[in-house]
Amino acid sequence: MSVLRLHPQKCTGCLRCELACSYMQTGEFQPAKSVIRVSPFEGHTSYAPYTCTQCAEGWCMTACPVGAITINAVGAKDVLDDKCVGCKLCTIACPYGTMFYDPGTRKAFKCNLCGGAPACAEACPTAAITYEDVATADWLGDFAVERTARVLAEAR
Amino acid sequence: MTPATLTAPKQLKTTSTATTRPGGYAGNLLRVDLTRRTCRAEPWGPEMMRELLGGVGLGAMILYRETAAKGGKGNVSWDHPDNRLVLATGPLAGLPVWGTGGLTVCTIGAGTNGPTSTQANGFFGTNLKYCGYDAIMVQGQSKDWVYLYINDDVVELRDARSLVGLDTWETQGALYKETGLAGHQLSVYSIGPAGENLVRFAAIQGDYGHVASKNGCGAVMGKKRLKAVAIVKGTKSLRAADPRGVVQAAEEIAHDLRTDASARSLYEYGTLPGVVNLSKMGALPIKNYTTNLTSNVAGADMSVWEAPKLRENFDHRGHQCNACGMHHCHMSVIRHGDQKGKIVDEPEYEGWSGCGWAIGAADRDGVAWLNTQCDRACVDVNEWGWLCGWVMECQEKGYITKEQLGFELKWGDVKGSNRLLQMVSRREGFGNILAEGVKRAAEKLGGPAKECAIYIEKGATPRGHDHRSRWEEMLDTCTSSTATMETGNPVHPTEIGQPARINPFDGEQVAKYVAGLRGRRSFEDSLGICIFTSRTRLEYICRALSAATGWAFTVDDALRFGKRTAAINRATALRCGHTGAMEYPSTRYGSTPVDGPAKGQAIRAQWEKMLDTWYAEVGFDRKTGKPLPKTLKELGLEWLARDLWGKKA
Ligand code: SF4
Ligand code: SF4
Ligand code: SF4
Repeated sequence: MSVLRLHPQKCTGCLRCELACSYMQTGEFQPAKSVIRVSPFEGHTSYAPYTCTQCAEGWCMTACPVGAITINAVGAKDVLDDKCVGCKLCTIACPYGTMFYDPGTRKAFKCNLCGGAPACAEACPTAAITYEDVATADWLGDFAVERTARVLAEAR
Repeated sequence: MTPATLTAPKQLKTTSTATTRPGGYAGNLLRVDLTRRTCRAEPWGPEMMRELLGGVGLGAMILYRETAAKGGKGNVSWDHPDNRLVLATGPLAGLPVWGTGGLTVCTIGAGTNGPTSTQANGFFGTNLKYCGYDAIMVQGQSKDWVYLYINDDVVELRDARSLVGLDTWETQGALYKETGLAGHQLSVYSIGPAGENLVRFAAIQGDYGHVASKNGCGAVMGKKRLKAVAIVKGTKSLRAADPRGVVQAAEEIAHDLRTDASARSLYEYGTLPGVVNLSKMGALPIKNYTTNLTSNVAGADMSVWEAPKLRENFDHRGHQCNACGMHHCHMSVIRHGDQKGKIVDEPEYEGWSGCGWAIGAADRDGVAWLNTQCDRACVDVNEWGWLCGWVMECQEKGYITKEQLGFELKWGDVKGSNRLLQMVSRREGFGNILAEGVKRAAEKLGGPAKECAIYIEKGATPRGHDHRSRWEEMLDTCTSSTATMETGNPVHPTEIGQPARINPFDGEQVAKYVAGLRGRRSFEDSLGICIFTSRTRLEYICRALSAATGWAFTVDDALRFGKRTAAINRATALRCGHTGAMEYPSTRYGSTPVDGPAKGQAIRAQWEKMLDTWYAEVGFDRKTGKPLPKTLKELGLEWLARDLWGKKA
C-alpha cells in the first residue's frame, strides 16, 4: 500500500500542504481544518509536516465504539460521517495526535489519503511529502532529536 | 492594565453579507483606536473591495480621506495622533498562490513626512485573513506601551511594558512564550529599540526576517506606543469564487517562476545573485558611491559571492512565506568567525549591499550577522548602508572626528558598524543626530560632509543599488509619492506594450520607460502577494485575482487601478507639502561614477529633461506637481480632480 512518506529536512514551513489539504477536504481554504499539520522545531527555524501514518495497529479504529472508522479503497483509515457519533474516543486513542474533531460538524476527521491522490504531496514545492509504496514509519523522530539538540546548543 | 477588547464583532457580522462578499476577502477591516483603546470590526462591501482591492489601494485611500489636517490646509504630520498606520493584506493573501502572506504598510512616514507604501512577507497576511480581517487601521496614540493581540474574534490591546527595550526577535520570542504558541501559529510584527526611540528610518520587522522597511514606518508605530501586532493563525475559512481556478492560476504562476529565464535565478537563489550581477553593471553600491570597483574593498573575492557559494557558506534551510515555493527566504547558522553558531536570517541582496558593500565590508559572516542586527533593532538596512557608509567616509576625510563620534569607524568594520547601530537605535551621543536619517544629519553637519551624503531631497534614501547606473530607479525614487520606488523595475515589459530593453543612459528613453511601466507595482502591492512571486505575467496574476474574487479583472484594469492608486498617493503627498523642488537626488546620489562600468555617465546633465518627459508622459502638471484634470478623469477620479483643481476641473 502507498503511504505518505515525510522528509522533514526538506520542509520550509510554507504551509502549502495544509492549504491544499483543507481545500481538498472542505472546499475552502482553512489550514485549521486540514488533517496535515506543520510544526515548528528549533524555535522557529525548522518546520516539519505531520499526518496520519496509517499505522498498522489502527488504534483509532479499535477505539471507535460504533465502528465508524473503516479502511477505504486505497487502504487508508477513514471516518464514515453518517456513523460517527462524535465521542472523540479515537482522538484520544491515536498516539500520534493525527485524529481531529470538528466542533462544527461534531464529527471526527482524519487523513484519508485523498482517495489515492494526496493533495498535500501534490502541493508541496520541495517534495517533503511523497506518496510511496513503502512500509509506514515514524518519519520525524531522528529529525526532531537533531533539531532539538541544536536549540539547546544555541541556548548554552 | 485591563485589556481593551473588541467591541461588538457579533452585531457587525450580521451586516457583513457573506453571500455577496467576493471570494478571497475576509470581509472586515479592523479599526484600532489607541487613544480611546477601542478595537472595532468594520465590514466593507463589494463595491469598495472592487475599487480599492487591498494593500496600497486601500491604504492610499485611507490616508487621503483620514489624514487631512483638521480645519484647514495641509496634512497631519507623521507624529500626530491622527496619523494612520494601515497594515493591509489583499484578496490573494491566505490563498495557495505562492508568497501570499504579506502585508503593505501605509502611513504618513517619518522620513519624508508624506505617504508610504512598504511591504513585507511572512505570515501576517495569512493569519490576519483567517482571523476574519483584511486590514488593520491604527489611529490615536497610547499612553502606555501596548501590543495588539488578535485571535479570531478576540482582539485586545495588551500591556507591552515588559517588552520595551527588546529587539524584534526577542519580542517575538517573548510573545511566543506569553501565548504558548510557536512558529507560524503566531505571526508577530514589531519594532525594536529604533522604533521605540523614533529613529526616522525605523522599520517594522516580523516573523524573523521580514521587514516593512521604508519611510520610518517603525517610528510611527513607536510614536503610537504600539510595540507589536501579534496574530494567531485564525480558524475562519476563506472562500474563492472559483477555487479550482485559483489553484490552476497558482500552478501557472509557479511554473512561470520556475522556468522563465528572467525569474529562474530568483526562484533558485532569491536575490543572492544580485551581488555579482549588479557589480558587473556598476549598480552594486560600493563605499558610499565612492567607487564601483569591487577590488577597492579589502578582502573582496568575487568568486565566493556567487549565489551558490554565498548560500553554502552557511548552514542554511528554507524559511518560506505562506504557500511559497521559491528557494528564496532562508534561515542560516553562521559557521565561522566571531559570530559562529548564531542564527541569522539569510540577507537579501540589499542586506549584502547595505551591511556589506556600501560600507566596504566583504566578510560574508560578519555582513550576515550585521544584517540581522539591523532587523532586530528594526532599522532599514538600505538607509543603514547610506548612513554608516557616509559616517565612514566622513571620518576618513576628517569631516566627522573621532571625538565627535566617540570612536574610530573605518571602512569594512562590521563590529564598529554594529556599535554605531546600537547608538543610533538608542539615540546615544552622536547617534542622536544620525537617528534623524542621512538627509537631516547631513544638513546639520553641512559643508563637505553634506556633499557626500546619499539621499533624496524629500527626506528618504534610495534602495540598495547604485542608481547612477540604474537611471530608471533614480527617477522613480525621486518622483515617487511613497518614499521609495513607486513603479519598480520592468517585469515582462512587452506584455504592457513597453520595449524589452532601452538604452539605460538615454534620459529621454528612461523617463518614457518609467512612465510607461507605471501602475503595475501599485496593483501588485494591493493583492497581498510578494514582490518576487509576482514577477510573472500580469495576465496570470489577474487570472488568480479573478478566480479568487469572481470579477473579470484584465491587465488593463490592473494598470488603471495602479495608476489610480498612485494618483491618490500623489494628492496626499502634495497635501503633505511635497513639491517639485524636492524631486532631486542629493549631490552624491546624483553624481557621476568615477570608475567601473558606468564611468562618466552623468545623470544630472539630463535630469531636467527627464523630469519634463516624465511629467508629460504621466499627465501631471510640472509646475504644481498635480495630476492634470484630464489624467484624473481618464482614471475615473473626477472627485479627485475637483479636490485638486476646484472649479478649474
Ligand atoms: S489516525 Fe492515528 S491511530 Fe488512526 S490510523 Fe492514523 S496514526 Fe493510526
Ligand atoms: S508544503 Fe511541503 S515544504 Fe511546505 S510546509 Fe508542507 S511539507 Fe513543508
Ligand atoms: S519569494 Fe521569498 S519573500 Fe517572497 S513569498 Fe517567497 S519566500 Fe517569501
